[in-house]
Amino acid sequence: MKSENPLALRATPLIRGAGAFIVLAGAAFFMGDYHNDVYRKLLLWVTLALGYNFLFGVCGQVAFSHFAFYGIGAYSIVIFLFQLHLPFPLAAICGIALCIAFALAVAIPSTRLEGFYLALVTLALGQLFIVVLNEGGTVTGGTGGIANYRLPEIYGLRLRGPWYTAVIALLVVATYAVLVRLDRSWFGRACRAVRDNPEAAAAMGVDVARTKVIAFTLTSVLAGIGGMVYAFVDNTVNPPIFGIENAFLLLFMVIVGGAGRHAGAVIGAVLLFLLPFWLSPLVGHHHALVFGVLVVAAILLEPRGLIGIYDRVADRYKGSPSR
Amino acid sequence: MQDFFELAVGAAASGCVYGLIGLAYLLIIRPTGIINFAVGEWAMLAAFGGYVTLTKYEWPYPVGMAVVLGLMFVVGWATERVVVRRLVEGGAPLLAPILALLGMLVVFRESISVTFPPDPHPVPDAFGIGRLELGPIGGTYQSFFTIVTALGVFIGAWLFFERTVAGKAFEAVALNRRAAALMGIDLTRVTALSFGAGAVVAGLGGLLVAPNISAHYLMGVPLAIQGFTALVIGGVGRVAGPLLGGLLLALAEQLTVRYAPVPAGYAQGVPLVLLMVFLLLRPTGLLKAKV
Amino acid sequence: MSALLEVRGLTKRFGGLTAVHDLDFEVREGEILGVIGPNGAGKSTTFNLIAGTYAATAGDVRFAGEPILGLAPHRIAARGVMRTFQHNRPFAGMPVIDNVLVGAHTRFGATLWSVVLGRSRAEEARRRERAAELVQFVGLGELARADVTTLSFGQGRLLEIARALAGEPRLILFDEPAAGLTAAECARLAEIIRGIAARSIAVLLIEHDMHFLLPLAHRVVVLNFGAKIADGLPAEVRTHPAVMDAYLGSHAAH
Repeated sequence: MKSENPLALRATPLIRGAGAFIVLAGAAFFMGDYHNDVYRKLLLWVTLALGYNFLFGVCGQVAFSHFAFYGIGAYSIVIFLFQLHLPFPLAAICGIALCIAFALAVAIPSTRLEGFYLALVTLALGQLFIVVLNEGGTVTGGTGGIANYRLPEIYGLRLRGPWYTAVIALLVVATYAVLVRLDRSWFGRACRAVRDNPEAAAAMGVDVARTKVIAFTLTSVLAGIGGMVYAFVDNTVNPPIFGIENAFLLLFMVIVGGAGRHAGAVIGAVLLFLLPFWLSPLVGHHHALVFGVLVVAAILLEPRGLIGIYDRVADRYKGSPSR
Repeated sequence: MQDFFELAVGAAASGCVYGLIGLAYLLIIRPTGIINFAVGEWAMLAAFGGYVTLTKYEWPYPVGMAVVLGLMFVVGWATERVVVRRLVEGGAPLLAPILALLGMLVVFRESISVTFPPDPHPVPDAFGIGRLELGPIGGTYQSFFTIVTALGVFIGAWLFFERTVAGKAFEAVALNRRAAALMGIDLTRVTALSFGAGAVVAGLGGLLVAPNISAHYLMGVPLAIQGFTALVIGGVGRVAGPLLGGLLLALAEQLTVRYAPVPAGYAQGVPLVLLMVFLLLRPTGLLKAKV
Repeated sequence: MSALLEVRGLTKRFGGLTAVHDLDFEVREGEILGVIGPNGAGKSTTFNLIAGTYAATAGDVRFAGEPILGLAPHRIAARGVMRTFQHNRPFAGMPVIDNVLVGAHTRFGATLWSVVLGRSRAEEARRRERAAELVQFVGLGELARADVTTLSFGQGRLLEIARALAGEPRLILFDEPAAGLTAAECARLAEIIRGIAARSIAVLLIEHDMHFLLPLAHRVVVLNFGAKIADGLPAEVRTHPAVMDAYLGSHAAH
């Protein structure tokens, strides 16, 4: 490996990323409007699942606020752009700052305590966010949300149709790249150490509380950025999207796919997103029942999720352990 | 003042329901450490049980109630047997059963949503519709029935933990599972019973609140949160904790709706704000555990 | 030889019980100091006070002249005091080499930002190479990529040591390292500990087993009922009357 051209070696991840982006974005140009819409939402779910997997699967933190941050991102960009009339870059920066502020306010006190506190505090936060959206009057548009806006021109460009889908593909690829790099660094190992054995992690010099706060804030901001992108998918934001139900679904995706593995998060998100399309002829709107059964089955029968099953099958054929 | 007393009786009844849901959590948390968010769905199941037995088949109230609560015990026991036991005995981290029960929450809710149409299903009051006046204090029959029943359950639970050998066994398991096993206490049985009892208590809460809000498949999660808030305010240390927490929570909710200068919708935010405040500032709750 | 770790007047009370009483001792640069005593003598409490797991009631602990008593465990580790656990505590979701790399946590210089930009690969590769050497040093060479859950108890103990060494400590605290090991594993462990001291890393060994400790330690501190009853060279301690009484006497009575 060492003898290879160092330039080629350094370019490899970039080329792989660019390839993934071209494939993911290019696919959008072969789809009609309806499929483009479904595809965009699939990519957004994958983005969210990747971030949530880092928090829950890698760092071992259960939180139910991911969709609240998705909503904070979506609502804040819309409000900053169309009610306060900020320029686009400033609106985006303010939205991110808001996510960081909320994430720190939640994470710093709740990670100080042992156990399940972050889950409970974020459960309350997630529900409270919906109450505030519903009762927010003209600012949030109440239960009807905000509609009738359009992505403004950015540097003279108006992104629409498959070109906007390409933006989402870029978001997926960038999120994946950032999370994989973090995961393979001292930070990712610290997160896993905190998940597996906090006391031993502290003895190894890992600041447990700080690691949890960073992981929570980082993934919450990623969710917020996803929300900003989502705001221009339907060109409407309304409360039900950002509720606790979707936060549960995200958790289920990661568990079913395989917590702690990026590929698992992708598989889980794709499967649970597409499942309702296949199931609705059979069970109508009751696909959630299937999700519930799947998640219970996964925890009882295969805690490593679908990716765990894949590993075992792959091992059998290759005869070597893979990781 | 009349207005306040009227409000207080209603709040006390709601608070007792929250307290019962909180007690259902507590019965399971004490011996196992498992936070079971499906208790709200158990309350929902019992409310639908009430609809079927009392409204649809018009059985006498005590018979319907007994049958529903009996079935709830089976539901709780079966939940433990199918979902929890394998994980606990397999040495899985505590998070595994908590998440599995979150999955069961969805399974319970969607089972009802598949079986019944999505509109509210009426459940009758225990003593019909009417008002009882005790001096300045007045309220519906159902309010007083709820308060008396809940107090009875809490006194019963207190006596059980304080005065009976079986209750001591529960406590021993709560303090130290391994030591309790060495003392010859059957952990599996205690865990199964705690789930059965939790389902009965949660179911009772659901049955008592159902006449006011009607049985609906989405009623579980709000009850689960209100009950959990009651538990967090009062503390898991003592049996009376969730009752105290439930009463304070209900009073805060009612006062917000009646007197606070905010839209009524914000009343839904009251338990959430209280939950966050108590979790962050006073995670042990108001009542200290007895050592 | 100057004192690297100084313990002065260390006291810990749990309620009415005094677990450690007014304890004084020091660990010098590059030496192996053994702390022994019968069960309940306060060895583990002393260990946990120095490692920052428990808060002391009174006293002073200085490492390289700086007070460390009352610091959080991760800060003590960052100063160069690493530890092992008596009951192995591996990070079960990671292979052996990554466990060792967690030990090097405080030695990474790359910021999160440079990690995200992919500028930390050289450092990561260097650390990984160094961790592989440590895995080799403790004798787990072939198992570097193995899942830690497949390790035997003795191998797990060796992993604990490699992980602690990865933090580039100036002092390692060993919490009953021989507990649960076979005679052959004990001999191997003694060899490794000598090797560590030879790298001029000071060693503080808390140990119940005298037969393991006395041939290994340069100096020994004997505890009983939370107080120091003797200290000195292993040969002196072995024949010290108070020690015979408190420790060997109680053993002989078994």
